[in-house]
Amino acid sequence: MSSETQNAPKVHVAVDEIRLAQPFSILLTVCDDVAVSEVRVDAIMPAHQHGLNYAPKITALGDRVFRADNMLFHMPGLWELRVDTNFGGRSISYTSDVVLK
Amino acid sequence: MKVLVTAAFVVLAGAVHAEVLLSDDEIQQTLSFGPWPISFQSDPSNRVSNDTRAIALGAALFNDPVLSVDGAFTCASCHDPEQAFTTSDARAFGRVQLDRNTPSLRNLAGLRWYGWGGKSDSLWAASLHPIIEEHEMAHSKESLKTAVSESSYIDEFEAIFGDIQIQDPELVLVNTAKTLSAYLETLATGRTQFDDFRDALENQDLAAAANYPEAAQRGFQLFIGRGNCVLCHNGPRFSNNEFHDAGVPYFLSETEVDDGRFGGLNFLLSNAYTLDGNWSDDPEKQGAWVVRSVRRSHSDFGTFRTPSLRGVAETAPYMHDGSLIDLDAVIRHYSEIDTERLHADGEAILSELNLSEQEIADLAAFLESLSKAP
Ligand code: HEC
Ligand code: HEC
Repeated sequence: MSSETQNAPKVHVAVDEIRLAQPFSILLTVCDDVAVSEVRVDAIMPAHQHGLNYAPKITALGDRVFRADNMLFHMPGLWELRVDTNFGGRSISYTSDVVLK
Repeated sequence: MKVLVTAAFVVLAGAVHAEVLLSDDEIQQTLSFGPWPISFQSDPSNRVSNDTRAIALGAALFNDPVLSVDGAFTCASCHDPEQAFTTSDARAFGRVQLDRNTPSLRNLAGLRWYGWGGKSDSLWAASLHPIIEEHEMAHSKESLKTAVSESSYIDEFEAIFGDIQIQDPELVLVNTAKTLSAYLETLATGRTQFDDFRDALENQDLAAAANYPEAAQRGFQLFIGRGNCVLCHNGPRFSNNEFHDAGVPYFLSETEVDDGRFGGLNFLLSNAYTLDGNWSDDPEKQGAWVVRSVRRSHSDFGTFRTPSLRGVAETAPYMHDGSLIDLDAVIRHYSEIDTERLHADGEAILSELNLSEQEIADLAAFLESLSKAP
């Protein structure tokens, strides 16, 4: 995922198949060795000015790996995935674009 | 000799005329609207889902006035099996005229939301509310228990659920709703011309696909292309089953509005009959994540659940208030949509399409093909 913050720890996102209007999960891995105190996940459709209809549920799996469940993209098009993190007091946001057919 | 030549000519002419108009990309997109029918999965929150005795009892109760407090109505009074499980009234008539159009009850198994405003998250809850709603069947739990006990269905009911006298009235209500739900799960629309087209494309049988009328093909191209219909009407049911503002006025009178999804969520979150509640029969509470994590927003106001378009030609009039009399009127509504009137702030999806008469006819031909048997 990309971040506007300089020298931000790397965050990797893994997704299986995303089916339109069906729930899916994503796996987030913080690649650098930092203490993670918070992870929040959200998504918006920039073209339609709306976001997710359901709040993603975050589970910490250990080793700086997090799973977000109950993600649901209810329309086809460009979604911007947003991850907000807090690394020991330092808030950093990441985004990643997903195009759904 | 001459006869043979003519015959060959006719065949050739036919082959030239019928062709598949879709691009490779469009063909790929077509596949996402099937396959049809959807394979049935029984409802884990309803222990009598897919039970033949419950289905038979549900079907009988659906058509019997015993479910209304004074014997004045049956479910079928509004959801008429002879009229695709709806009626041609713009708004339903119960004890008074209701605020909304009666939806057809086909293809409801396994949805995430029920009702125009999504006030139920299961089919059994959506079948329960009309029994006790004062403008519909108007029973209380107690009067329902008495009515079922004294009815000719008591043996069937007890064969499934045991002695009714030791059941709390609320349990009788939920059990009754679950038989109705078991029945409603069996109602589905059949295969259509569109499904044959879609399957032929999947099998790369372009000759068979070319049997789908060209007007319907052009209408479908508009549907997934410039018309943007596919943004909300997608998947095998032609619905994302979420809530949107399609530009239909939501005023009930000069002073009252239909708050749509906003009111639906208020209702859902304040009643006991959800997949997260004690009346679900699923120990794992699958599906409860929906009511637990659904977000509320002021833009829910005046949005309605995207209706499925399967069998749509049989269920006029249209929209939550039945205000559009036929498919032509619906297409013209989208073509001329007044974006100033879109109330749900934010969603910038619909815009005036300014369709030509030819395009309107093509879209109608496509929508009608979703009802036509192959
Ligand atoms: C007076 C007319 C009327 C009667 C009687 C009636 N309904 Fe309905 N039904 C409606 C209307 C109108 C709606 C849409 C309500 C809404 O969304 O607010 C509806 C919605 C539904 C839905 C949700 C459909 C969907 O697409 O989500 C189900 C299920 C349903 N009714 C089942 C029943 C059953 C079972 C009975 C009998 C116990 C019944 N109805 C009696 C008018 C009626
Ligand atoms: C923004 C999402 C959205 C888009 C885009 C959209 N629809 Fe709809 N459609 C809806 C909703 C929501 C309703 C119900 C609106 C209401 O009752 O207020 C609806 C209702 C309908 C109905 C009536 C169905 C019924 O049973 O009453 C038809 C037909 C229809 N749409 C066809 C189309 C076509 C054709 C297009 C493209 C030109 C289209 N829709 C674009 C969301 C959408």
